[in-house]
Amino acid sequence: MKQDDFFIGWSAETPRADRRFLLGAGLALIAGGGALGAGLALDRPPVGDGVWDQGTKHTLRGVIGREPYPVLRSRGPDGAIRTVFLVSSGKTALRLDPRIVGAGADVTGTLITRGDHAMMAVTDMAAAPASREVALLVPPPAVDRGPVMLVGEILDAKCWFGAMRPGYGKTHKACAALCARGGLPLAFCQIGACGDAVQAPLLLDADGRAFGRNILPLVADPVSVRGRLVAVGDVLQIRAPFSALHRL
Amino acid sequence: MAHGYRLVQWTPFKKRYDLALLLGVVVFLGAYLVAGLAFTPPGDRPLPIQLALRAFGAAAFALLTLILLIGPLARLSPRFTPLLYNRRHLGVTCFGLALAHAGLVGLWYHGFSDLNPLVSLLASNPRYSSIQGFPFESLGLVALLILFVMAATSHDFWNNVLGPNMWKALHMLVYWAYGLVVVHVMLGAVQGEKSAVYAAVVGVGAGLVALVHVLVGAREARRDARADIAAADGWLRVGPPDEIADGRARIVTPPTGERIAVFRDGAAIHAISNVCRHQGGPLGEGRIVDGCVTCPWHGFQYRPQDGRSPAPFTERVAVYRTRIEDGVIFVHGEPVFGDEDVPPSVTAGAAT
Repeated sequence: MKQDDFFIGWSAETPRADRRFLLGAGLALIAGGGALGAGLALDRPPVGDGVWDQGTKHTLRGVIGREPYPVLRSRGPDGAIRTVFLVSSGKTALRLDPRIVGAGADVTGTLITRGDHAMMAVTDMAAAPASREVALLVPPPAVDRGPVMLVGEILDAKCWFGAMRPGYGKTHKACAALCARGGLPLAFCQIGACGDAVQAPLLLDADGRAFGRNILPLVADPVSVRGRLVAVGDVLQIRAPFSALHRL
Repeated sequence: MAHGYRLVQWTPFKKRYDLALLLGVVVFLGAYLVAGLAFTPPGDRPLPIQLALRAFGAAAFALLTLILLIGPLARLSPRFTPLLYNRRHLGVTCFGLALAHAGLVGLWYHGFSDLNPLVSLLASNPRYSSIQGFPFESLGLVALLILFVMAATSHDFWNNVLGPNMWKALHMLVYWAYGLVVVHVMLGAVQGEKSAVYAAVVGVGAGLVALVHVLVGAREARRDARADIAAADGWLRVGPPDEIADGRARIVTPPTGERIAVFRDGAAIHAISNVCRHQGGPLGEGRIVDGCVTCPWHGFQYRPQDGRSPAPFTERVAVYRTRIEDGVIFVHGEPVFGDEDVPPSVTAGAAT
């Protein structure tokens, strides 16, 4: 290195050799950084097709149910009876007016949908006049479809339906725990399919009730569950005692 | 030089350095967001905020890796030394990126609830005794605090207030921060990946950082272990003067104390501590400019005869006595801090 090549940071002059090298190194670093950023963005696990359309409000008429989670049973555009889970806009459960439970109601909010699943972040709710149509929307009885043994992850349904993209996995564990703590519905996805799946059954205790906070440590961890698959109308459920849940 | 807080102006080099840094950050984040949003089918597109928080985290990790590579690379080749000059700007930027990452994570994953986000971050996952399930967020939080302390004390004001040794020790915490970040990513984002790309990128980055540090350490160890410097009565053999380029130094390591940089300035031989009082830079890898030993890292200068920075600056390093015997330079390992100058040895036969 020649004497003039010695770099002194506070000097007004940068040696010519350093300028050439730094120009090349700088351009290489910038280009390499861009390529790295793009590569990392494209290499990620699947997100799924869940959507929370916060730009469009809908009003649905149906019957309000409270157990195990707040729902609205209404008739969809195709005429089929559809269960729409009702939640708040945050990570807490919707507080239902007891007078409206089991009665007809008009519920307004934004829809979170994934596959056949539907959830509404409620902004307004009002009693609807009784009608024959509403009277038809009484919850059907539970149908036991037999025993199941699954390996997968306990999800908070709101995020997995589309409030978050992605809404599963370890990086989402804290959020899922907050949602579970807040009383939002829990669901279950099979391991390896949580990103792609379009259906996730609810996870309930053996009596079909929501689990308490004892389940929080297991949320978003790989677990196995042994229980029974139950259908209640268009909603699939896995019913299992807490003792049948095991972290892997 | 900055002690006495004379403002080092925005030299053209500094402006270009920061412009390149800004451009690099914008290109990285832009490429990440564009690739993740525009080149992904709508049915598999992440939310922009979730993509952004990953982009900020990845950018912070990449920049921290680069920061840790620059130091040893500058020791291996002086070509990289200019990158070191404004490295603190990289550090502050890295903290900003990490803060943006943490802020979005706090808002998105730990917000919108009746629980304090910090409580959620530290308590939502209680599996501190598990490796696979370890709450990786806490590691990122500690790393962020370290980066904050480093960014807040990066100005030379704090170097002067804390003293160079304390300041240096504080900023060596960057290695803890990097280790925490590596584990944070490995136990967090990598756990949810289906491919090995993220793990490979983190592994290659951390491996490169380790490799260049080992290379520099091995080189210094070889130099420190030189057998030919041993001599009697505290005098160390340095070598013939003409083996030292004019204005440059040979570094020798005494049995105790700091390394010594033995400079040749024309026919004059000086010996001075190898450790710059600013950030511990290797003075022996610098050169003599305007009659002063000049640190290759930030240009701090010291008069070789008394180790003092030229007025109005007040830094001082130790100097050492030298002698030339039978065409060989010797330096005494005992530092001199007296008020008198230590006269140089003069060699008549040295090449200039």
